[in-house]
Amino acid sequence: MLLSTLHLSNMRNYAQLELEPAAGLNLFVGRNAQGKSNLLEAISLLGTGKSFRTSREKDLIRDGFEIASISGEAHVRAGTVRLGCTVTATPRGTRKMYAVNGRGVRYAKFLGSLRVVTFVPADLQLVSGAPAGRRSFLNSALAQEQKTYYHELARYQKALMQKSALLRGDAEPDADLLAIYNETLVEAGTELMLARDQIVRALSESAAMVHAGWTGGAERLQIAYVPNVPFEVPAQDAIAGAFAAKLRALAQQERARRTTLVGPHRDDVDLQLDGHSLAAYGSQGQQRTAVLALKVAEYSVMLERSGEAPLLLLDDVLSELDPGRAQAFLSGVGGFEQAFITATHLPEGLSQARVWSIDAAQVRPA
Amino acid sequence: MPTSSGSIAGPVQALINEFSKLPTIGPKTAARLVFYLLNRPRNEAQSLAEAILAVKDRVRLCSICFSITEEDPCAICSDERRDARTLCVVAEAKDIFALERTSAYKGRYHVLGGVISPMDGIGPAQLRVKELVDRIGSEHPHEIVIATNPNAEGEATALYLSRLITPLGVSVTRLAYGLPIGGDLDYADEVTLAKAIEGRRAL
Ligand SMILES: [Zn+2]
Repeated sequence: MLLSTLHLSNMRNYAQLELEPAAGLNLFVGRNAQGKSNLLEAISLLGTGKSFRTSREKDLIRDGFEIASISGEAHVRAGTVRLGCTVTATPRGTRKMYAVNGRGVRYAKFLGSLRVVTFVPADLQLVSGAPAGRRSFLNSALAQEQKTYYHELARYQKALMQKSALLRGDAEPDADLLAIYNETLVEAGTELMLARDQIVRALSESAAMVHAGWTGGAERLQIAYVPNVPFEVPAQDAIAGAFAAKLRALAQQERARRTTLVGPHRDDVDLQLDGHSLAAYGSQGQQRTAVLALKVAEYSVMLERSGEAPLLLLDDVLSELDPGRAQAFLSGVGGFEQAFITATHLPEGLSQARVWSIDAAQVRPA
Repeated sequence: MPTSSGSIAGPVQALINEFSKLPTIGPKTAARLVFYLLNRPRNEAQSLAEAILAVKDRVRLCSICFSITEEDPCAICSDERRDARTLCVVAEAKDIFALERTSAYKGRYHVLGGVISPMDGIGPAQLRVKELVDRIGSEHPHEIVIATNPNAEGEATALYLSRLITPLGVSVTRLAYGLPIGGDLDYADEVTLAKAIEGRRAL
């Protein structure tokens, strides 16, 4: 995939920006707070429809303005696609609208036309951080790839919120209603677990190979899916059966504690080195190397599954890595079609890059 | 563009503020409506104001189906030609208007007054579910058509009602999902398409 034009209007600190990125490596160099991350955030938003930095979408709109717009043209296998997203501040909150080829579409239709793999400094905490970060890593990769995954995820989350509200309520929860929400959770949750099981297997295989290449095979990296509902075989019936059984077993406890205790919203992913959990026993260096391998794997798996190279977005991570790891990461990703990298200094050893300078929201070829 | 301005006359700003409170109307649309009205004759503004008040003063709920009406019972409930054996359950009175525009449905209606959503504090007790069960007991319909929206809350409400009503010996049906007529097949999203395939019928 190739982003050939990007247009921003009143997005963050950009009043207007017209950019024609190059194929291959695009390197944006500038001091902090000049707009480097904002640019990557905009590109990522064309892929995922969401900001990778904030859930406060009002922040995407330039101070003193009401509408931010982000649009671009991309070359994908199916041809040329024009993508647009506007964020509007209204008295009732922020509203986002999406367009594909000039036609207004819903989020589910917009999602995944352009695919991105982002890597930001916060990702370096993926191993040691809370399980929520690892779940959202899986969700983001899967939702871009399969529209049905996003649909099931939305269905699951909605049913979960309703069930929580029912359990938290003052009255004894309506048993029929509770059963209906639990059935939806099992139906949608089974699809989520199947998809997660599959992608984690693929990620594990790919990450192990990359990791072995870097470390000379001295240690073996393994990524394991740790579902909240354990299952014997990754098949629909088996998972749905196990899920329903665990819900029945913990029904009393859910009512007593007035909270949901069962399901993929409590899943985790465990990264292990030679069978030992990296989160518990790994050094910071080992954890970072594992995250790099996981990100390379995310890129490779997306490429392998769709047959199309996603855009690679690296926001200020090279400076977080020692030169050896930075180089290893870039060569690990290998033949990317297009990458966008921000840095405060021109990194060494990045040949063949189109270099841009960013200063006070002005982007110029350097 | 700044959202507020001290230079606009008080009554104009006041009406813009009122219009902005309406659903789907933002400040820009509100301003457009106000300046349009400013250029219209006084009697037009008067009939608009009166129509708004009449809605509040003269419209009430039908005591049978809970639709909005001027006369109680409403025109549909008092129409002898409507098929009393079929009862269509809708979330809001406005859904009746949508269904009536099609002229495809000849039965009667029941307005729930919303959909089940515990996170909004709405359970079966907050809706006209008991009234529906009472009507089934007294009117003995053969079929209940559930016409709630095909979203999460509409689905949960439909399932809940179907489990409640089926044991009463009444057949319960649900509006079919379909593709928008006149829409392109390749433009329909995957989920709509999958639902349409599930609900396919013989030709
Ligand atoms: Zn009536």
